[in-house]
Amino acid sequence: MAADMRLPTAGEQISSSSLSLLDGKHLVVPGDVITSDTGFMRGHGTYMDEEKLTASVAGEVERVNKLICVRPLKTRFNGEVGDVVVGRITEVQQKRWKVETNSRLDSVLLLSSVNLPGGELRRRSAEDELSMRDYLQEGDLISAEVQSVFADGALSLHTRSLKYGKLGQGVLVLVSPSLVKRQKTHFHNLPCGASIILGSNGYIWLYPTPGQQDEEAGGYYTSMEPVPLSDREVISRLRNCLLVLAAHKILLYDTSVLYCFESSLSHQIKDILKPEVMDEIVMKTRQRLMEQEG
Amino acid sequence: MASVQVSEAEKVYIMHGVRDDLRVDGRGCEDYRHMVIETDVVSNTDGSAKVSLGHSDILVGVKAEIGKPRALVPDEGYLEFFVDCSANATPEFEGRGGEELGIDLSNTLYKVFNNKHSIDLRSLCICPGEHCWVLYVDVLLLQCDGNLFDAISIAIKAALFNTRIPKVHISEDAEGGKEIELSDDPYDCVRLNVENVPCIVTLCKVGQRHVVDATLQEKACSVASLLLAVTHKGMVTCVRKMGGGSLDPESISEMTETGKRVGKALHAPLMDLLKKEEGLGKNRQKVGFLR
Amino acid sequence: MPTDTKRLRGPEESQSPMLFLPPDAQILKASSRDGSRGHADVRPIFARCGLVSQAKGSAYLEAGNTKIICSVYGPRETERKDETDMKSGRLLCDFRLAPFSCLKRGAWIQGNEERDLSVALIESLQPGVCLHRYPRSQIEINVVVLENDGSILAHAVTCASIALADAGIEMYDVVLGCTLRQDGDTCLVDPTFAEESGNWLGGYGENQGRVTVALLPNFNQVSGLHADGEMREDTLTEAVRTCMDGCHKLYPVVQHALLRAVKRKAPPSVK
Repeated sequence: MAADMRLPTAGEQISSSSLSLLDGKHLVVPGDVITSDTGFMRGHGTYMDEEKLTASVAGEVERVNKLICVRPLKTRFNGEVGDVVVGRITEVQQKRWKVETNSRLDSVLLLSSVNLPGGELRRRSAEDELSMRDYLQEGDLISAEVQSVFADGALSLHTRSLKYGKLGQGVLVLVSPSLVKRQKTHFHNLPCGASIILGSNGYIWLYPTPGQQDEEAGGYYTSMEPVPLSDREVISRLRNCLLVLAAHKILLYDTSVLYCFESSLSHQIKDILKPEVMDEIVMKTRQRLMEQEG
Repeated sequence: MASVQVSEAEKVYIMHGVRDDLRVDGRGCEDYRHMVIETDVVSNTDGSAKVSLGHSDILVGVKAEIGKPRALVPDEGYLEFFVDCSANATPEFEGRGGEELGIDLSNTLYKVFNNKHSIDLRSLCICPGEHCWVLYVDVLLLQCDGNLFDAISIAIKAALFNTRIPKVHISEDAEGGKEIELSDDPYDCVRLNVENVPCIVTLCKVGQRHVVDATLQEKACSVASLLLAVTHKGMVTCVRKMGGGSLDPESISEMTETGKRVGKALHAPLMDLLKKEEGLGKNRQKVGFLR
Repeated sequence: MPTDTKRLRGPEESQSPMLFLPPDAQILKASSRDGSRGHADVRPIFARCGLVSQAKGSAYLEAGNTKIICSVYGPRETERKDETDMKSGRLLCDFRLAPFSCLKRGAWIQGNEERDLSVALIESLQPGVCLHRYPRSQIEINVVVLENDGSILAHAVTCASIALADAGIEMYDVVLGCTLRQDGDTCLVDPTFAEESGNWLGGYGENQGRVTVALLPNFNQVSGLHADGEMREDTLTEAVRTCMDGCHKLYPVVQHALLRAVKRKAPPSVK
């Protein structure tokens, strides 16, 4: 039994050192005139007001040649084709599942874009349509890839690869999508003994590293065997580390997660989320990341 | 109540974790998330407190007003509870969505304080049968992240500790008419004895074991929970079974035992903290809602 | 505060003459109970099914002077679409204390106490009902207390479960309720109204409280537990046990009432 009670600590003032990091960046708020030069093209997050290019969201100005966009720092997920996402089924419909992926609109997973048990080339029958709930039902989590983007911005997903599919036992962590670094692969078997799927939509899935997988199941079989305690400890620690990194706005990718995990090893898992421990871990992690880069 | 969706496999993972005494966030079965408490956050109240437990944020304001004592107990004041579930906390509370939960919460609070020892109601009496203090305890949910009952009870205790009721003097004129005079010195005030104010402990039955301070995910895995209000002496002032499941008699006695132990242990650190905060005096840097 | 404009109401402020009784008239006399009733005895109950002919199922229950009517309507499709549950049904409850049921006259509109009792009743009954058999539907339980002579929640639970069974709703088990009034070291099972409130109001003694337990007798599972007052933990555990014993004592009567209703409904055998 432990109840940790404390007085609040005031949020630290933005120090001059961290401000200097932002020096090179052009930050705007809605209504700010970015440029009155007419030679530029209007991109996302901007609008034209009497020949002046004006920001419509708060964020960072990005220029690509003549195109000016404003990238909001806090946003819902704007999917692009090929993004790896983690999502939760919200509805089973005719020939499709609705999936919550932290986007503006619910995403769609068509029955024709999943691998069903029995191999890739199996034809979809009316029976499959009736038994859709046996594969995925409301509340289930999946990993998938964005197949296409509809005109209204809704995403169409597919799971036509053995690495995608229904997720079994594990823990979901929600962070802001802008914190997930885009990489070649978003699936990692971390050397500390667990696996991670860094969904580009900010949904991160932590799970015990799987053994040999059965291909016949097509990714729709989940084991309900208890996960050993040692794996659990690693997963819980990773979960708290992810929250620490997210709270301090550090980009998430395999190396940063791993460094943070290693820096946290001197503390008990449940203490990681205490503010002072958080600060310490983040400092160590930042240092190691700088060393590695520099 | 604000709820989350959890898949079957996630539930299995959570339940096995509870069995192994290692919860998803690394806590043991009887650990609370860390709590941040601040009192005196709203200046227009006679006492206020803000408590955050995990991401559950509760704001409590206490206002003292002069009213007429209840006919059955002419020599006592009384407390009124109101819980507001604003749509700020979750869109589900929009419109009348939060009403049901709000009434449920305030009814439970009435039961928790339905005894003679929690607050000395006689100290709230000004003039028997005619005037007494009525303490309006208004609870505002700012964020919901599970375990509202416990957080609310702690916030109420802190707010009552912080409450200062102005002193009144009753003067009697020649014809026997009475007049109430409010002291105009702001430091001339009465404080409440909050020693016996209970704290609520909610135990959620997950699998074969029970956990305290359940997150929304853990709550989704449990079919029944037991709410206990426990004083610092270990007296139980309110028990309620919640949720759609049933409990067997053995687990009820186990849960009451745990609840009493955990609840009793909550009071000492809370009182220490409140005294420490008070010791910092007027110069204490107030944090309020900015963090 | 919504007011009821359709009825003639009394003066704004009126008080029951009971308030002017000498205070000692209300003091609980733990030493003696009416008649030959011991402290651990429940009042004999009388239960009958099917008195409301329009309802799907109904029951009337009498325990001493406590009289309760309960009727069950449904299952039928949920009215509030946003709360429709695809996997299981919902219990709705409307618990009313008739205005003349208590010593003090009550209001016609549902007050806080009644809402609280409704929630408590639903929570106690839910474990006993096979709700997964009724997806997307609601079952309405209406309870009216005609006379309140103590232990209304407990008897309402028993009465409602008889009505549910009478309505042919699938249930794992009947649900029985029993209340106990703890006064210092003595406990009174199934208290009357006087015993229930008793010197709680005047007394500052230790271990004062009230416990209500709802029990599934065949599974020996507690489906509802409500307690207030101030009690030691061991007293509480002991009180729960005593209440469970009290519930078991009611079981034969409830069983008999239901059997009787079934026999009446059954077509006469051909032979």
